[in-house]
Amino acid sequence: MSSSRIFRVLLPGLALMCCCSSLVSAGGFDEVEVHGFATQGFIKTSANSFFGDSEDGSFEFTELGVNASMDATEDIRLSGQLLSRRAGEMYSGTPSIDFALADFTVRSTENDNFGIMLGRIKNPLGLFNETRDVAFTRPGFLVPQVVYYDKVRNLILSADGLAARMSTFSELANVSLYLAAGQPLTDENVEYVYLGSGYEGDFSPDGLSYIGRVLVEKPDGTVRASLSIASTSMKFERGASDPIGNGGVSLVYGIGSLQCVVNDWTFTSEYMQEPIEWRGFVGSPLAGKEATGESYYFQAAWQARTDVEVMIRYGEGYADRADHSGVRIEQATGGAIPAHTQYSKIATAGIRWDVSSQLMVRAEYQRHNGTLILSNRENPVPAATVPDWDMFALSVSYRF
Amino acid sequence: MTLNVARLIFTMRLLHWPDGTRVRVFVLPDADPLHQEFAKRSLDLYPRQLRRVWDRHLFSGAGAIPVEVSSVEEMLRRVAETPGAVGYLPDGLARGEVRVVNVQ
Repeated sequence: MSSSRIFRVLLPGLALMCCCSSLVSAGGFDEVEVHGFATQGFIKTSANSFFGDSEDGSFEFTELGVNASMDATEDIRLSGQLLSRRAGEMYSGTPSIDFALADFTVRSTENDNFGIMLGRIKNPLGLFNETRDVAFTRPGFLVPQVVYYDKVRNLILSADGLAARMSTFSELANVSLYLAAGQPLTDENVEYVYLGSGYEGDFSPDGLSYIGRVLVEKPDGTVRASLSIASTSMKFERGASDPIGNGGVSLVYGIGSLQCVVNDWTFTSEYMQEPIEWRGFVGSPLAGKEATGESYYFQAAWQARTDVEVMIRYGEGYADRADHSGVRIEQATGGAIPAHTQYSKIATAGIRWDVSSQLMVRAEYQRHNGTLILSNRENPVPAATVPDWDMFALSVSYRF
Repeated sequence: MTLNVARLIFTMRLLHWPDGTRVRVFVLPDADPLHQEFAKRSLDLYPRQLRRVWDRHLFSGAGAIPVEVSSVEEMLRRVAETPGAVGYLPDGLARGEVRVVNVQ
């Protein structure tokens, strides 16, 4: 094909054009691309605390991020993002490195591609984990809490390690496989969730986490289905004042996801299962404990106008699929841990308005039965939580 | 160029031309009528589907993103001067050192 030959386009009015490969001139592609985002939220709950003292109305939800990326060579892309996230008692807003990685494209053709990533890599769990802190990419005010619990966010957010990605492309489907191994990040929220409280001792990753995902997409993007899994272990070394012994926690976090786009509608559903095993912890109720967390949600979103999306969602989450009602744990603890803390059933309705390509406003109402999604850092007395409660949330987000 | 290849290029999945040159994608802003027409008519994708893919790449580091230009004139200039570049224009506006290709 001669570079001077002109091809008519199939569709009238538009021409796709390519630069002649013989032209070699400065393209400015060594430039660093810098982008960022900011979200400020307001949360009002009828009872319980979610991201601050929300019963009185809380503004303690702020997300700020700035990222930079550049093509270091034809095959290597460098990118990184700094993130500050303030969310009530759970996250203070201290800036952290959200991701920082080198992505090496080994092979990229119209039939397949293969690449390696090295650094702090976001875990592609479910449809939303990788960009869960960026309001513009979320399916609502927050990611669906029953699958993407905010209180264990850091554990599954990213891993410091190595990943391989490969895809095959055809007219029938694009199939992608992702495999990674790396060190996860734990924090006090994770300790509260898996140990039930904060202790003097050290709760830290025990070896590497392993992450895998298979994603199948129709080439027109109307159907996306994935299965993603993370396996991780943590160990606890008791401090002198701690009432529990040394121990370890192992868990597998698995999500099945399906998204379909039909004209102006987007239907999304995800199912999560999380088998957890506690070892050691002599002298505490955690000794020998096993549980399997389980949750799912369905969401329908309607693009009412190019700048307005309306959505409804229903989801349920359970701390242990063998004790959906939570009655067993309530009986075992003599009522100290009420049954309703072991599940969350949430009906949500929300609206998104893209005021401009850079500014977005969201409003959302949630009706809750159960308090599983709440953090016990923010609600330290389980018996004091209210099982039936409402949440109203507003957010304003900006991107550049 | 097949529809599938055009989609792979604009969803940043096809990163190298057959000769090994890096593919450099240029687009107009999401709200630009020409971008919307190109996405829907030439790629048979909603602009929001493209945005979803690009944002996932941008905010997770999982892939490349296109370079956004502000006008048809800038699109023509940047594509012409950048090795391996690809973009889109209204029919008949292409001139100079660019090659017009057919999506089918």
